[in-house]
Amino acid sequence: MTASRFPADVFRLDNGLTVIHQHMPATPVVVVDVWVRAGAIVEPEEWCGMAHFLEHMIFKGTNKLAPGVFDAVIENRGGVSNAATSHDYAHFFITTAAQYLEDTVPALAELLLNAAIPEEEFVRERDVVLEEIRSCSDDPDFGAFQALTESIYQRHPYGRSILGTEVKLMEYTPEQMRSFHRCHYQPENMTVVIVGGVAKEIALKLVQRSFQDFSLPVDCPQAQIEAEPPITEIRCQELFFPRLEQSRLLMGWMGPGVDQLKDAYGLDLLSVLLADGRSSRLVRELREELGLVQGISSNFSLQRDSSLFTISACLDSHYLEQVEALICSRLCQLLSEPVSEAELARCKRLLCNDYAFSTETPTQLAGLYGYYNTIANPEVAVTYPEQIKLFKSSEIQQIAQRYLSPKFYAVTVLKPA
Amino acid sequence: MIHRNILDNGILLLVVENPAADIIAARIFIRAGSRWEAREQAGLSHLLSAVITKGTEQLSSIEIAERVESVGASLSADAASDYFQLSLKTVSGDFVDILHLAGQLLLQPTFPETEVELERRLTLQDIRSQQEQPSTVAFEQLRQAMYGQHPYALSILGTEASVSSLGRADLQRYHQTYFRPDNIVISIAGRVTAAEALALVEKVFGDWQPPASPLPVLQLPPLTSQAGTNVTALPTQQSMVMLGYLASAVQSPDYAALKLLNTYLGNGLSSRLFVELREKRGLAYEVSAFYPTRLDASQFVVYMGTAPENTAQAYAGLHTEVERLCTTKLTADELQASKNKLLGQYALGKQTNSQLAQVFGWYETIGLGIEFDTQFQEKVTAVTPETAHEVACRYFIQRPYVSLVGPEAAVTPFPF
Repeated sequence: MTASRFPADVFRLDNGLTVIHQHMPATPVVVVDVWVRAGAIVEPEEWCGMAHFLEHMIFKGTNKLAPGVFDAVIENRGGVSNAATSHDYAHFFITTAAQYLEDTVPALAELLLNAAIPEEEFVRERDVVLEEIRSCSDDPDFGAFQALTESIYQRHPYGRSILGTEVKLMEYTPEQMRSFHRCHYQPENMTVVIVGGVAKEIALKLVQRSFQDFSLPVDCPQAQIEAEPPITEIRCQELFFPRLEQSRLLMGWMGPGVDQLKDAYGLDLLSVLLADGRSSRLVRELREELGLVQGISSNFSLQRDSSLFTISACLDSHYLEQVEALICSRLCQLLSEPVSEAELARCKRLLCNDYAFSTETPTQLAGLYGYYNTIANPEVAVTYPEQIKLFKSSEIQQIAQRYLSPKFYAVTVLKPA
Repeated sequence: MIHRNILDNGILLLVVENPAADIIAARIFIRAGSRWEAREQAGLSHLLSAVITKGTEQLSSIEIAERVESVGASLSADAASDYFQLSLKTVSGDFVDILHLAGQLLLQPTFPETEVELERRLTLQDIRSQQEQPSTVAFEQLRQAMYGQHPYALSILGTEASVSSLGRADLQRYHQTYFRPDNIVISIAGRVTAAEALALVEKVFGDWQPPASPLPVLQLPPLTSQAGTNVTALPTQQSMVMLGYLASAVQSPDYAALKLLNTYLGNGLSSRLFVELREKRGLAYEVSAFYPTRLDASQFVVYMGTAPENTAQAYAGLHTEVERLCTTKLTADELQASKNKLLGQYALGKQTNSQLAQVFGWYETIGLGIEFDTQFQEKVTAVTPETAHEVACRYFIQRPYVSLVGPEAAVTPFPF
């Protein structure tokens, strides 16, 4: 695990496409995971939700592949496929037995390069996306998190909903979506990761051959990405949700972008220190000793332009103020007192082992390489444990001081209506 | 290659040597779980899982957590309907220490009064919080209708009434009854040899002697319930529509065919329900089916979430597709595609050390043996369109149990 040598090969094809390959001879499975820098942040504001809707429409076929044919090609051979869209990316992945690669990879490339976005399918699939939005609005945690990010990112598109809104979606046309697709699904924005039981030469040839005929790039309205100014207050928001049994407390801070990876890693450590595991500070005190919360967790989410650090708790309404105040006072303590070597060692061990546990399968590895290559570079994926091990207690304290202010943050409270 | 050993005290040990990564995962199964709970003590297994890691004769709750977390390992307990388990995962160098700790938790838990009280209170909150998700409300309602007095009727958490009555003495009694070496399967996978694993398990658990008394014989109430409709009106954006059919236990000869029919209907983007109700009609984002593997009668469920105004259509669509299995035989191609899908995904579910330890340990725990891994694949391969059709007729000809959750105006005019 200490070896920093990057175990995969990275190629840049003549057309600008990035290919990352790793041979794992012991497995008969191959994962092909295609990452596109065409997440919600490249949408202009008036096209909010387009990237995610397009992810749905990619599966609706091309002039050569009728809708549903791709799904049958993958699944009838025992494989699985799916896709996801976030702010920084959209990605599309298949897991398939090595002997079927010749059938499955060209089909995946055909969908991604030549999505037809037929009018009739567009109208029908919009109903599916509207169902997805409805289903999310029935989930209190989804709504609370969305509200928190909107409050933190008031200018940057990270604050916008990935799904968009019903009103917006009803305005879009297939032609707009086609131009969004032809503009962003271009080789220089795309990384094909192929990991598993396939040798380099075979994999590379197959990808080269399949990801060749990109459509001519077209213009489409571009996003205006504004840097988010720092939070210089406590931004409070109170929301009500019917049927809620327990209140939610969500607190959020803006972290660095990928240009300051070291700080980001420090925040990963701080997130573990505060609320990962029963011996972490906040779980131990607030759940185990005081019994004030049903659960409390912290999450650090690395994003290209600006990361997000959150602390979330599920609790009885009448403890809301007390718990928020306690969290702030524990942050004050973190800012003023050095972290002990033993505690820091615990956090490092936990993150390094989590990393080892999340690189067992080709699916996990492909995701890791694709994600880091999309927002930074793939080598970052394997130097992570080493970087974590280097941290000193004083650095952790400085990073906490830089980002986790108990005076400047956003807080969203969700209460029973 | 799976190494299988039975220790002198009755512990069954399985080891899969897998040197690929510097990881060892283990699952320690106990033949207990909510299936063994009396109705008035529902939730006992879950409460035990919450408290068993929180105190031994030598260590306090926080000391146990520190031992595990300081080496970045994981060690947790879970209760399910057909089993209870302790799960561990470590880098290989830490495995010996963490298995010793697991041994201490299993053999000498003290169930400290304050921890019992804390976890009992949090479980009661968890039970109430479950009402926040419409899909959980719909499933709970369906399960209670289908299973009546059988323990499968209730969530693993238990009910507010039953959990309120549980105490430390109940945990001790349950532990004394079921936690005995002749009722345990230990399954290990990772960078360890079978000989090393055997020596280690002998060292940690070898002195543990089974009591002279036999294990109690489980008496389960027969399923007497009848299909009907249950409705909960909630002010939600979507209606949840669920249809359930009582289906066979894992030992039944119909099991493989039912798994295939479930795959055909509800598994993946090319499945029948997905294509007919989502792709062609845009009625849902989530539409699927499940048929869990169970020791007793299982349930075959199809469900979807849909806009309130489409509730009746959604019900009709789901019902038609299940009934169609009785009226229309699957073509050879359709059946073959479902077999490929089911067997392909089955193989994909055995990739990590945790998955390997889980699947083989579970098969031994529920009495199927590790041979079931190959038997299952053979049985699936052997299903013909004719047998699939016969099985469908046997289970899907009767009226389904129906569970509806959604805005009052959308769900109460049922039958639509």
